[in-house]
Amino acid sequence: MEEVKIGVYVCWCGLNIAGTVDSEEVARYAGTLPHVAVARDYKYMCSDPGQDLIKNDIKRLGINRVVVASCSPRLHEPTFRKACRDAGLNPYLYEHANIREHCSWPHATDKNRATEKAKDLVRAAVRRVYYQEPLEIKEVPVNPNVLVVGGGIAGIQAALDIADGEKKVYMVERDASIGGHMIQLDRTFPTLDCSECILTPKMTDTGHHPNIELMTNSEVEEVSGYIGNFNVRIRKKPRYVDVDKCNSCGECAKVCPVEVPDEFEMGLSMRKAAYLPLPQAVPAAFAIDKRGTAPCRIACPAGVNAQGYIALISQGKFKEALELVRRAMPFAGVLGRVCTHPCELECERGKFDEPVSIRALKRFIADYELKTEREKVVPIETTKDSKVAVIGSGPAGLACAYDLIREGYAVTVFESLPRAGGLLRYGIPEYRLPKEVLDNDISYIQELGVEIKTKSPVEDLAEVFNQGYAAIFIASGAQGSQKMGIPGEETSGVIHALDFLRMVNAGVDIKLGNKVVVVGGGNAAIDAARASLRLGAREVTVVYRRSRDEMPAISSEVEEAEHEGIKIHFLATPTKILSRDGQLSAIECITMKLGEPDASGRRRPVAVKGTEFTMNVDNVIIAIGQTVDKTALPKELNYTSWGTLEVDPVTLQTHIAGVFAGGDVVSGPADVVVAVAAGKEAAISIDRYLRGVSLTEERQVTPKRVENVSKERAQLKARASTPLLKLDERKGSFAEVELSFDEKTAIEEAKRCLNCGVCSECLECVKVCEQGAINHEMQDEFVEVEVGSMILATGYQQFDPSVIPQYGYKKFDNVLTGLEFERITCAGGPTQGRIQLKDGREPESVAIVHCVGSRDQNYHEYCSRVCCMYGLKYAELIKEFTKAEVYEFYIDMRCFGEAFEEFYKRVSEMGVNFIRGKVANITDRVMGEEERGKLIVTAEDTLLGKMIRVPVDMVILCAALEARSDAADVASLFTIGQRGDGFFLETHPKLAPVNTPTDGVFIAGCCEAPRDVPDTVAQASAAASKALSLISRGKVTTEAAVSYVDESICHGCGRCEEICTFHAPSIIRTDGRLVSSINEALCKGCGACAVVCPTGAAQIKHFNMQEIEGLVDGLLEVHRG
Amino acid sequence: MKTISPYKEATDVILEAGGEPLKLCYQCGLCTAVCPWNVVRSFLVRRIMHEAQLGVTDFDSEDVWTCATCRACVQRCPRGVEIIDVVRAVRRVVASLGIGVVPDALRISAKNIAGVGNPFGEAPEKRNDWAKDLGVKEFVPGTEILYFPCCVPSYDPDVKTVARSVATIFNKLGVDYGLISTEARCCGESIRKAGHEDTFQNLAHNNINLFANNDVKTVVVSSPHCYHTFRNEYPELGGKFEVIHITQYLASLIDEGKLKFSKTMNKKVIYSDPCYLGRHNNVYDEPRKILQSIPGLELIEFPDARENALCCGGGGGRIWMDTPKGERFSDIRVEQAVEKGADIIALACPYCFLNYRDSVLSMGKAETMQVRDIAELVAEAV
Repeated sequence: MEEVKIGVYVCWCGLNIAGTVDSEEVARYAGTLPHVAVARDYKYMCSDPGQDLIKNDIKRLGINRVVVASCSPRLHEPTFRKACRDAGLNPYLYEHANIREHCSWPHATDKNRATEKAKDLVRAAVRRVYYQEPLEIKEVPVNPNVLVVGGGIAGIQAALDIADGEKKVYMVERDASIGGHMIQLDRTFPTLDCSECILTPKMTDTGHHPNIELMTNSEVEEVSGYIGNFNVRIRKKPRYVDVDKCNSCGECAKVCPVEVPDEFEMGLSMRKAAYLPLPQAVPAAFAIDKRGTAPCRIACPAGVNAQGYIALISQGKFKEALELVRRAMPFAGVLGRVCTHPCELECERGKFDEPVSIRALKRFIADYELKTEREKVVPIETTKDSKVAVIGSGPAGLACAYDLIREGYAVTVFESLPRAGGLLRYGIPEYRLPKEVLDNDISYIQELGVEIKTKSPVEDLAEVFNQGYAAIFIASGAQGSQKMGIPGEETSGVIHALDFLRMVNAGVDIKLGNKVVVVGGGNAAIDAARASLRLGAREVTVVYRRSRDEMPAISSEVEEAEHEGIKIHFLATPTKILSRDGQLSAIECITMKLGEPDASGRRRPVAVKGTEFTMNVDNVIIAIGQTVDKTALPKELNYTSWGTLEVDPVTLQTHIAGVFAGGDVVSGPADVVVAVAAGKEAAISIDRYLRGVSLTEERQVTPKRVENVSKERAQLKARASTPLLKLDERKGSFAEVELSFDEKTAIEEAKRCLNCGVCSECLECVKVCEQGAINHEMQDEFVEVEVGSMILATGYQQFDPSVIPQYGYKKFDNVLTGLEFERITCAGGPTQGRIQLKDGREPESVAIVHCVGSRDQNYHEYCSRVCCMYGLKYAELIKEFTKAEVYEFYIDMRCFGEAFEEFYKRVSEMGVNFIRGKVANITDRVMGEEERGKLIVTAEDTLLGKMIRVPVDMVILCAALEARSDAADVASLFTIGQRGDGFFLETHPKLAPVNTPTDGVFIAGCCEAPRDVPDTVAQASAAASKALSLISRGKVTTEAAVSYVDESICHGCGRCEEICTFHAPSIIRTDGRLVSSINEALCKGCGACAVVCPTGAAQIKHFNMQEIEGLVDGLLEVHRG
Repeated sequence: MKTISPYKEATDVILEAGGEPLKLCYQCGLCTAVCPWNVVRSFLVRRIMHEAQLGVTDFDSEDVWTCATCRACVQRCPRGVEIIDVVRAVRRVVASLGIGVVPDALRISAKNIAGVGNPFGEAPEKRNDWAKDLGVKEFVPGTEILYFPCCVPSYDPDVKTVARSVATIFNKLGVDYGLISTEARCCGESIRKAGHEDTFQNLAHNNINLFANNDVKTVVVSSPHCYHTFRNEYPELGGKFEVIHITQYLASLIDEGKLKFSKTMNKKVIYSDPCYLGRHNNVYDEPRKILQSIPGLELIEFPDARENALCCGGGGGRIWMDTPKGERFSDIRVEQAVEKGADIIALACPYCFLNYRDSVLSMGKAETMQVRDIAELVAEAV
């Protein structure tokens, strides 16, 4: 190694340093230190003559290490490194001592100690520089593409500047159109030119520019790489409209049944779920707003799109609504009556007042069809070669057949009984489900082409296959009756509910005695009891072993049963059936109490000893459960220990390939809708089976439930209940008890729906779109782009003044925010530009309140910069277009820009009243008749020193501009910083206002701080020029002081990999050993890996142990005891 | 026209007396606009701040003594100025340097407090006489709770019922509590706000030593003013003990199921938040919780409640000064309570009790409107 010759240069910085630190003395002292060949002091080291001192010494004296003691290395380390390099010395053989911020400034009162400290720092630097090594500086090319995030005025300006410079720009915008906040503004101060007029051309240019690739509805997901070479992953969310095909005809919006508040109009008017984001939207295409799947639809086992058909009903489109139900399943009429409606339990409206009457609405559209008579259905053409056999024509079997025929399969349903429908026909009494309703649903299925063979029991599966069927679905139900196992159960006069209901439904003449006891608590028990009453029984009692809360029957059915006079004896169970002369005479029961919960989660009933009692009866109907009747099933099948058919729980396939089973025969007795769901699952399996694809892969698609459903606009309205047949008309008659809504009620009820998912997927828009531009199946797309630099222009959000309750925002109709008022004055806005109150009147007086949420440490301490001026603009517009008095409540008027003060003067001349004082309250507490209906604004008029109250019609709150609520996420995504107020942090507020600590990432506009349009545009152009300058340079040097790993002592433990936020280290296998390897391009030289490395293998170049120890030793050596 | 010049020396004495926050004020006037005085008369808080900033304060003005320290202004001040500290500093300058005049009524109370440890000039050894016939223990080391009623409930014949109600409830529920010896003195909160810092320091040190010598760990207080100074000011002087306001304590007993009500009270009750419990210490829910737990009782609210509650006018030493009729905040509140159809105004502060009692009497409403402390209502319903 050549001899180390250190040059030390001590700066005076005029008097900044030399006023306190004796620079000459420090230089003299430095000259005494080992290896120091020359030490000098100079008035301004950073000046050209100062730098020349260093350069000359390197050249003439052979100085090969340099120490400069001056001000902050942040400012001048690069300066002196460059001087070294210019003189042919490696810039990493340089060390900087800060004797200004560390010595002269903080110790200004103690010159001696400041000087001593400066000596310490210089000594430390000298010791360290001795050990320093030359580092190689690498250069990498710069990718000339630029990413612009945010499509407001800042993003647009930056993108156009770069694109006009013939460089490629990817613009990512979260909303469906670019334009940002500026396109919402009516006019811009102080010139009052129309915001639309000046911005729209720029928006269009951006949309059409050959060098700009615009991605709307998109967000950046992931950023990796470094300056000049970033990789960006972008999520393009579906718009559901192909922007190339859409011609903005607007037909989709016309037919769309869903209305939501229009964000662009600040919620002052409504828009459809299919909408044009704003009149000048770029891209000029409609979009469909989907927020997720409505909870009702997720709750439905059969996947019926409840929100969709409700939305259509609300528009009077009853036929279309029914069509939508039938997209999922064929039983609108049946399930509109007997469904247990899990949808209603999940209905979001239920969290506000009461759930929507979803089931009754479905019934309404089915009844509407019956009433208006449906057209004959066009049979579906068979497109598939395979035939499918379905055994059983209950809800599961028919649902399966329905889905399969629509897939193009030929389907035959085998039914052992004389009529199709299974338990729907033979289990449910007519007063609940009239036969004509069931017939209509079944005939619809038949008309599609499903063949139903009645009186055709199937005994042998092999024979079915022999007939040419390629797959079989067994859905024969659970038709056996569970026995009680008590003495006397076989007595004549005791009958099981299913047998009883089957006879009732088949029209068999049944003679019942006066007193009937029904045992059980399910729907069959209630059905049997109510049927008994209709057949002439005088006294019907239901005996149920648990309490009302545990009762599985539909609660409204139980209620109706009780209305009809049926008694329910809770907490009792039969122990014995007594007979006299072989004839049923009485039933003995015992009282129960509820114990611990059992497997079903319900509390287990326990008999209370010695509480037996008897009831005289003529008939007992047992309805305690149904079982699968094995004797009625083909022999080849396996059963579970519960006695149900054994199938794969996902595919519903039995142990025989091609044979599937579902519904009650698998699940045991369950709801109709559950059986329908099973039929649909089986249809999916059978289709996959017949197409020869996997039965399981990618089968479970869980829809995304919508989050945070807004109830802000909902108004309390009770749920419509269905009319009921009068009690006296029910006796002896099986006429239907529950009746249908009329059209008006149905529409009104449907309008209660909150449209949770926004788009209801009713698909009406698809029907009317002549361009075929709409595709509801669109999914997220991911795009990877490579760019050399990125400009963040993500903007701001308006402060929500409702957090200041004293200002009455959202409480009083005519208290508005600035952006709301912008929409009101805009000719294209909800009032066509007419300044008016909520009730349409023109205001006679308006208060404009400044500093709402700004300059207030309870909210935001900073000044939002634009409010004084836009407040003046509002005053101007109000004065120009109305006769209203205007009161500006301000604290300080800040009119600092070009022509701002002149505008202030002009507005003053128009007669606007200026009151200096922060508004305390806005209330409706009026005094006297003349104030009636007014809003009262109170403040101290600080110039008068008097309290002032001003009654006005309208108040405009100049709400603060604040950082977006997700600014922290964005900052961390791009590895940049935020200030305490949430806005993005620039590198230097004066000298590097668009740079960030991450090289190659620039910021512009209101994401950095509140600012007006001219300043934003200037800043955006500045950011663009930074990006262009980088591209123009074409290459960047990478940091040489990066980490390195001494592989000989690395254990490959991976702690460096874990700690590094830049993903620089990775554990690799070398010569059969795990070691860490550093990607120097990613390393920022932060040193985190060196700190966690247990062996000292990971170190940072330019900051290795020797150098750091030299520095510390140098600092401490004269102070050691 | 009279011309004035800034007088730095005056600003400096105010700053030294603790007026440092005044530097932050940017004169927006929100303090004035939310100050309850401006409902009844003009009182320019903002101007006091500006006068202090420039050293042109009129120390002779009655404005020095007007502020009731209700904290409505501080709560909303956009610069977070501790306005009450500035007011207190100005008062300290008057009281300690003798610039300006201390109002007579305040001077007498201050003298009494400094002399005998209570504003009434009553004998210190009579401090615990209110409990004579109730069989209350004297606090000894190891007793769980010290009940500290402070001066008004100890001496005022009308307000004694408040302390007596607390003792009755505690006796009934078997709470392990006691009263400290009659060496105890006024907590000093209000006399400190009235600018008498030395007096406060003496009172506080006396009480801190007394509590420490008796190994007091938990103090239950009836007055929000004791609550405030014990909790927020005594710790700086070395007083470290847990402080619980009686409403907090009773609410926790209800939560634990120890306090149950056997009687029904079919009354409409309106609750007035004391400034020192609410705005100064953020206790809003517990008093309401207690009232809502009493069977039959219907709780109603003033038009301005909780954070926006109107002061009774008794804080900052105002309780000892005379407020002319027409300017009494408690009169406004009584009117509002009548309008709302209340039967009872429920309180949780002895100063409120005095002011509301005087208001119903002077307004001739005593027959139809009861003024009751929450502890009294609890004792009645338990």
